[in-house]
Amino acid sequence: MLEIDDIEVYYGDAQAIFGLSLEVGEGEVVTLVGSNGAGKTTTLRAVAGIRAPRSGDIRFEGESLLKIPPHERAERGIALVPEGRELWPQMSVRENLELGAFGKRARGRVEESLGQVMSLFPRLEERADQLAGSLSGGEQQMCAIGRALMSKPRLLMFDEPSLGLAPILVRQVFETVRHLHADEGLTILLVEQNLRKALESADRGYVIETGRIKTEGPSKELLQDETIRSAYLGI
Amino acid sequence: MEEVTRLTVSSLLLAGLYAVMAYGLGLIYGVLRVVNLAHAGMIMGGAYLTWVLHGRLGIDPYLSIPVVMGAFFVFGVVLYKGLVRFLPRGAAGGGQSLLLLFGVWLLMRNAAYLLFSGNDQAVRTGYSTQGLRLLGVSVSVNRVAVFVIALIALGALHFFLTRTYLGKAIRAVAQNPDSCLLVGIDVERVYALTFGIGSALGGLAGLLLSTIFAFNPSSGAVELLKSFVVVVLGGLGSVVGIALGALVLAFAESFSILVLPSFLTAAVGFVLLVIVLVLRPGGLFGQRVLG
Repeated sequence: MLEIDDIEVYYGDAQAIFGLSLEVGEGEVVTLVGSNGAGKTTTLRAVAGIRAPRSGDIRFEGESLLKIPPHERAERGIALVPEGRELWPQMSVRENLELGAFGKRARGRVEESLGQVMSLFPRLEERADQLAGSLSGGEQQMCAIGRALMSKPRLLMFDEPSLGLAPILVRQVFETVRHLHADEGLTILLVEQNLRKALESADRGYVIETGRIKTEGPSKELLQDETIRSAYLGI
Repeated sequence: MEEVTRLTVSSLLLAGLYAVMAYGLGLIYGVLRVVNLAHAGMIMGGAYLTWVLHGRLGIDPYLSIPVVMGAFFVFGVVLYKGLVRFLPRGAAGGGQSLLLLFGVWLLMRNAAYLLFSGNDQAVRTGYSTQGLRLLGVSVSVNRVAVFVIALIALGALHFFLTRTYLGKAIRAVAQNPDSCLLVGIDVERVYALTFGIGSALGGLAGLLLSTIFAFNPSSGAVELLKSFVVVVLGGLGSVVGIALGALVLAFAESFSILVLPSFLTAAVGFVLLVIVLVLRPGGLFGQRVLG
């Protein structure tokens, strides 16, 4: 469904991604894991269109995305839950969610989608008229996930969804990821620093180091890999 | 006592005009982080366009509202797409956009000098000299009309920003443009639209002004400064904040004549500005942006 083919991404003169390739098949949960600053967020931003690669190609359902402006990528079925939630803090939870369905395809079904998101996260229904900026970290994460779901995506990308959350909320976030995959049939690309949790929820994983893919394979194998265990899991 | 009533009524009526001109400036700043110095030119241009439509074609100034607002909307969109789009924004790019838009204002002003000379003009209609009684005070029909139109314009804007998808998108872009791209909002289009709406409000303010005051090509400068004062007082938070800021300025100016010589009236706003910046740098009503 998503193919990232040998992309190079720069911030000014500084290169952040060096020939990275990655693939997410329809119905898969794929995780991209690595330490801080390895280039995980940059990769997702390239797919979302916020940071254009200097070379290489990104294809979605066989078609190159590079010529497609970022605001049209949501219309194609790509959604990103960004790092740090990035909500509109001075708008209500309901408005944040409604704007998630801004695209033509999603707008016609806004009421139906709102109902689905509210039943997935009942807390958001209680908080619907509150300003998003006044929510707790966990509620903001729910709102950010809800907003992404409102666009009726087929590929849902998560950028560090567990960052800064209490352990019980981290568990809830990963349960949500599993639910969206198993029950809603979404294809998921999950970026995480929490390597163990991420690999436990994913079919396959890529390990990224300083802008390059270091290792890839089925999650079970990566969890057994000696170098990964010592480098990332401290075992 | 009668003096107090008279001043209250006239401040209230003046506040409507102040709110319209300030909202145009505040909306553009809130969304694009650009201080539109050409706003002064829009106000002046709106007054002249109204004057031309009335003088040459005999169109009543209030009936020409759609034409004037439409013309300045288009002008704003073109100005954004042709120039402003290419400038860096925010704190880093502040100097460049200030200079550019100051240049646009100078061009507009000098074009007006060429076209219309520097003489004072006024739009005079059959009802210009008519008055009516409000709370026992006699006021001109035009002042009341200006107030009512300002209220309608602000109400419509408030409705647009809080009830429609496009209006909500404008507020969302003001708060976080990157996440707007993620949900499929064409942020560039929103910027162009916002610049157009802000300019249209400038044109409307000029139209309203032309029915009450005389104007010349240098008009707009004082209005621009007053708009700053209102935006700082009321913040960028909402139509309500701007309206309150406008009321504070209008009342302060009007009532100052009880204690100050009239040539100091124009300075009142700036004294107020300095006091607020020192005591409440976030504005009287906080720092929310198009909440």
